[in-house]
Amino acid sequence: MQNAPPAAGSNASLSQESLLIDYLQRLERHRRDRRCVHIHLSQLQPVNRRDNHMRIAAGAFDSLVKLLQAQAFTLANVDLMVIYKAQVQDEVEAAIVKLRFLFSDDPLVINDGLDRNFCDWFSLDREYEDVIGLAQKMLQEEQARQRAVQERTESEARDNRPRGTPFTPELLVRTEAALFQADLANLMRRQAVCAVVGQSPPQPVFHELFISIADMRQVMMPSVNVASSPWLFQELTETLDRRVLSLLNKHDDRTLEGDISINLNVSTILSPDFLTFDDNIKAGARGTIVLELQKVDIFADLGAYLFARDFAHDRGYRICIDGLTYSMLPFVNRERLGADLIKLVWENSLLDEKDKKTDALRRIGVTRIILCRCDAPGAIEYGHSVGITLFQGRHIETLLAEEARRRGTARSNQKR
Amino acid sequence: MNATAFGGKPQEVITPESLLYDAAERIGRIRDGRLALHIHLSRLQPQNREENKVRIAFRMFESMVDIFHGQLFLLTNSDVMLICKDARIADLDGIVYKLKALFSKDPLAFTEDDDNGFATFYDLTVRYDDFLEVAAQMVAEVKKRKAAQQTVPQIQDLDAKSLTRVLSRIGSVDIAGVVRRQPCVRITEDNAAEVMFQEFYMSIADLQKVLAPDVNLLANRWLFQHLSQVLDLKVLSVLQDAGFRKLPTAYSLNLNMATAESPMFDRFLASIRGRAGMFVEFQLADIFSNLDGFFRCRDTLKAKGCGTVLDGMSTITLEFLDAELYDTDYVKVSWSNDMASDVLTANLTDALGPVGFDRVILSRCDSETAIEWGLDLGIRHFQGRYLDSMVSAVTMTKCDKAEACTLQQCTQRHGVISGRPRVDCGNNDMLDAFPSLKAIR
Repeated sequence: MQNAPPAAGSNASLSQESLLIDYLQRLERHRRDRRCVHIHLSQLQPVNRRDNHMRIAAGAFDSLVKLLQAQAFTLANVDLMVIYKAQVQDEVEAAIVKLRFLFSDDPLVINDGLDRNFCDWFSLDREYEDVIGLAQKMLQEEQARQRAVQERTESEARDNRPRGTPFTPELLVRTEAALFQADLANLMRRQAVCAVVGQSPPQPVFHELFISIADMRQVMMPSVNVASSPWLFQELTETLDRRVLSLLNKHDDRTLEGDISINLNVSTILSPDFLTFDDNIKAGARGTIVLELQKVDIFADLGAYLFARDFAHDRGYRICIDGLTYSMLPFVNRERLGADLIKLVWENSLLDEKDKKTDALRRIGVTRIILCRCDAPGAIEYGHSVGITLFQGRHIETLLAEEARRRGTARSNQKR
Repeated sequence: MNATAFGGKPQEVITPESLLYDAAERIGRIRDGRLALHIHLSRLQPQNREENKVRIAFRMFESMVDIFHGQLFLLTNSDVMLICKDARIADLDGIVYKLKALFSKDPLAFTEDDDNGFATFYDLTVRYDDFLEVAAQMVAEVKKRKAAQQTVPQIQDLDAKSLTRVLSRIGSVDIAGVVRRQPCVRITEDNAAEVMFQEFYMSIADLQKVLAPDVNLLANRWLFQHLSQVLDLKVLSVLQDAGFRKLPTAYSLNLNMATAESPMFDRFLASIRGRAGMFVEFQLADIFSNLDGFFRCRDTLKAKGCGTVLDGMSTITLEFLDAELYDTDYVKVSWSNDMASDVLTANLTDALGPVGFDRVILSRCDSETAIEWGLDLGIRHFQGRYLDSMVSAVTMTKCDKAEACTLQQCTQRHGVISGRPRVDCGNNDMLDAFPSLKAIR
């Protein structure tokens, strides 16, 4: 089969870069009338490089892929490589127009052709070696990046000295003022919490809506070391809470459709802003809403937490304790705290002393655990082995995207 | 002059109370079949009737009584009043029960006393006059309170902006003047009492007076935590220069983890090495901001020879965590009168058993009852006003200048480390001596 899509599942550990090279090599004898376009999505501003943007971008070529006229590869640096038959040049260009429109506010598109290009075109017939060379270069870059990430993680584990300007109350004043003017919709992210059972594809149960702190930092205070004052940072999250609630209170978007979760401070749940939000929710008869709380916030004032919890439960919200690692579990007792769910952070060390840890997780109740930050297939394997069925993380997003594409293909096949 | 600008008759200020009274008056002629329900949120503990909680309670109540089409009033003192028609007492009872559940941690929720309970019902067919009188009383009270309030300066909540101002002013404030001390007393097997450590802490009320009288420093938890990190360093520096006649057997300080890991702390430790012991007390908020960091910090402190205390435990916190898991040398539990009940005593016995009662410090002991309750359980360490007086009394029996002083003066002078009260004491040697007591029972 010439146009076989990069296999998911069995070859999941293979990178898109190596799949691309593999595909190009198989095309060697069929390169006449084939072309390639390299779309430099990695050069977009961070706010335009969100997961859902990338999904839309890759989706722009779905119909051509389904008609076996093209093959698209989303590389690790989020660039898109599309190999297609020359006869669909117009359709490919139309898809690129769509993408330019999608990113029309981005400097990469605005300044297209000045100092760098939104995309580069190749003819496989004439430039086959160039494209192979490009693919190999990208594979090497990706491998180098992986190594660097690993090294950095290792060295960061050794070196936890603060970097950047310390976070001060003055900076907090300025950041809070900026937050009230900024359009936070740009920084709002959405990630699915999915049920994954057996080999069946992930089923979204609810979507977490959150402000990407990393992106917010990059936009508002790139040189500030937020970690230098955890308390000022905690205060900043309360300001963010209020901004998120007011964003959700606007009825002009579809963010609130379906079941969602949001991160809040206990004091925010007790604030007038939340009552307003609650009124709006009731008016719109929305789905289930999960409130995600941090352990520090719960234990800083247990009395306030208990009050907020009872109020939230009375109003039909679910309570989830966010961001717990295995070692924290003895200190944060879900059942006694009366929380509905906890988020357990996936880490490889969960595999050490597995039986002991499995027992501990079963005592907590595996149906109450969401395994989060799952960035590799191993997380799901582990979860399944102990009975966890709820998952969240980059790997889950990838599976969802693959599934969406696969279903799209199936639908179009049915039509024909 | 109380007249309006238009020269009309004096204008009544409209308050929820005056609206309630008007409604009560109007209903006089059609009182049959009507009920009034008075929810006494004002009788809750202060921390349970914070504005936010009252607002939520009111909102929940509002949505539940919606179907009765009654009139609802949220009064200035946080009480809630409902006047309605054709509601069944049983229905309202159910609603009161649900609302009470929201305050289940407050003693008011389980008081049996009808006159001081959570709610009062008025069947207006028969008790209309009582009800009207209550409404009239409330109008009078709120008038009085409003008049008193006008003389009280406005206090704003701490925010990032005022924190900046507060921080810049710290340098010019006499921190030593607001540092307080309190002994922790160990009662030995043969009923002798000795001071195990002196805890040094800052009186936040006094600090606020000198630092920022117009700002409520405790209004914002996270910003106050940030401020407390700065204050920690000030306290360390003040103590290093305190000039005690006799150093405490051991110091105990409530510190942020960040402070306990700072060079300033090491310098302080070096300055008392070999002469006094050191305990560090940790708060839950700080611990849970970085659990792994806490364990590292605790171990480092132990390696440096410091004792550690898990501070701020109460009947509520002990319900939600296992204090022994934190593996500190001591666990400090605040005494409250309700602990003497059979149920709570049993709960606390279960919760503290794994810690070991000899590692428990019972704090805020303001009565003999507290000490007796603790001793019965096997607790040996006590702190609080009752012990402060005890230490002063023992001091006075041994002090040659005691004739000039009262017990109260002696206690006050023990509680500070500088300023007028200390100067007024004729015998600073005795003031810093904290003598032991042979037999207390």
